[in-house]
Parts: sequence; structure tokens; C-alpha cells
Amino acid sequence: MARVFVSSVINAASDRVWERVRDFNALPKWHPRIRDSRIEDALPSDKVGCIRNFNLQNGDNIREQLVGLSDYDLFCSYTMLEGPMPLWDYMATLRFTPVTDGARTFAEWSAEFSCDPGDEADLVGGIGTNVFQGGFDALKRHFGG
Amino acid sequence: MYGSNRERYIFVTRVYRSTILEAPIESAWDVLRDFNGHDRWHPAIASSQIERGNPADRVGCIRKFRLADGAELREQLLTPSDMETSFSYCLLDTPIPLLNYVAHVRLIPVTETDWTFWEWESRFDTPKGQQEALADLVGENIYQAGFDAVRAEMGLEAV
Repeated sequence: MARVFVSSVINAASDRVWERVRDFNALPKWHPRIRDSRIEDALPSDKVGCIRNFNLQNGDNIREQLVGLSDYDLFCSYTMLEGPMPLWDYMATLRFTPVTDGARTFAEWSAEFSCDPGDEADLVGGIGTNVFQGGFDALKRHFGG
Repeated sequence: MYGSNRERYIFVTRVYRSTILEAPIESAWDVLRDFNGHDRWHPAIASSQIERGNPADRVGCIRKFRLADGAELREQLLTPSDMETSFSYCLLDTPIPLLNYVAHVRLIPVTETDWTFWEWESRFDTPKGQQEALADLVGENIYQAGFDAVRAEMGLEAV
């Protein structure tokens, strides 16, 4: 299994950060790489099992299914059902933890997936940098650091 | 569990504190992984030793230590992990009424800046009426004071 792990510190209380990202359909609102998104079958976006169907700015289409959501522990987990990348068995978790020493938030985004060994370095680097760190950068800009 | 004393206890107080150390996880773990090293950096600890000549990273080893006020405590190492950069321990003997006290220390890398996220949490039972005072004592005088002390020990700036 390939593994990606990216973490950051966001200069805002974790409930505020969570409020911005907890909606599984809200990627276009906070992540700069996502153009539009909808939830299939008109399910609520916090119902485990719902599928978000979204397009990147470059036109690629991705479908991901929510498998876990906790307003108590501030995390969501999801799997990728369809996408343009040469990988499979993709499962990711986005998690926020309060930093009590200062009103900040520790943000972690991790994924595991299978792929051809020759693709692994590019996939790990691309997902980690463009998707995960890119998302954290956008949150940090929004919350001013 | 406490028989006829049951009504005198409040069950499961949870204390949680976390911070960011502006240093790589390897150097933070160097300081924290030594279960017998707290007397070097924590202002509340006057002296500490591991009982029976055990290594300080052996599961089950016991540290016996004295606070600055002379009180003596014993704590047992439960789960040290270099892979998870974490350990758990429990309190065996204490003059302070913290019952069934189990604590967890965990470091996680902040990959963006090569810093360290450090969380320190515990659960314990307290006598009725003392819950808030004891939670505050543990959270501020032990955990937060520990954060500040390790930051000073490592030569990092105060937050």
C-alpha cells in the first residue's frame, strides 16, 4: 500500500475550521482545485454512504464515497470510486485536532491506496502536494495564517 | 467498584492539552521518550528513578519520583512506541486523589513545517466536588507547564 500523510497548523479554532470543511459537498467552496460538486441521488451530504461527484478545474471527474464522519472527533473518511489517476483501493481521512496552547488547529490529511510501483512516487507527491497541502494552504489563507 | 463509596466519586474526568513545538519530531521525541527524564525538564519534579534497575523504555517499568513539595508518586509505563512516537502510563501511588489515572503522550509530525504536534491527555476518577480543581491541576500544572518546560529545554521560543 502507498501512503500519503500531510499535516499543518491552521490559525483558527478547530470548530471554525470544521464548520468550513465538514460538508462533504463543499470542496468547491474551500479547495481551489475543485470547480463544482454535487451529491448523487439527492442524499444529505453528511449521510455515510453518500457519493460526491465533482470536477477539478482541469475537467477531470472524480466520484468519492463518504465512509465516516464525526462531529465529535472532527474527521471524515472517504473512498475513491472513480477518477483519472492510476490507483485503486483509495481511502483517505481528513482530521482536525484542537491545539489547546493557542486557539489553533492541527490538521492531518492521509490516504492509503494501491498502484503500480512505478507510479507510486508521482502519485504520492501529487496527492500530497496538490490536493492535501493545497487544501491546507487554502484554509490557512482563509483563516489568515 | 468503590462499593459503598460509589456515590462519593465522579467517574472519568478527561483532561486534554496539546501544543506545537517548532522543532522536528525526532528532537522532541529525544526529550520525551525517556520515561525517567522528566526531572530534568519538568519544574514540578525534583527527582526521579526507575525501580529495580529496569531500563526506562521497558514496558512495565516504574518511575518513582518526588515533587518539589516532597510528595512521592509512582507511575508505570504501559505502552512505549518509537513507531507511533507515543507512550501511555498509569499512576500507581499518589497523595493526590487521582484514581484510575491513565495518561497518553503522543507526537505527530507537522509535515508542512517539519514541526511537532504534541498531545497529552488522561482519564481518571476524582472525589465528588474536586473534579474541576484536579482537572485544572493536571492540565495546567502538569501538562501545560510540561509543554513550556520542554520548549525551554529545547531552546524554543515561548508561544
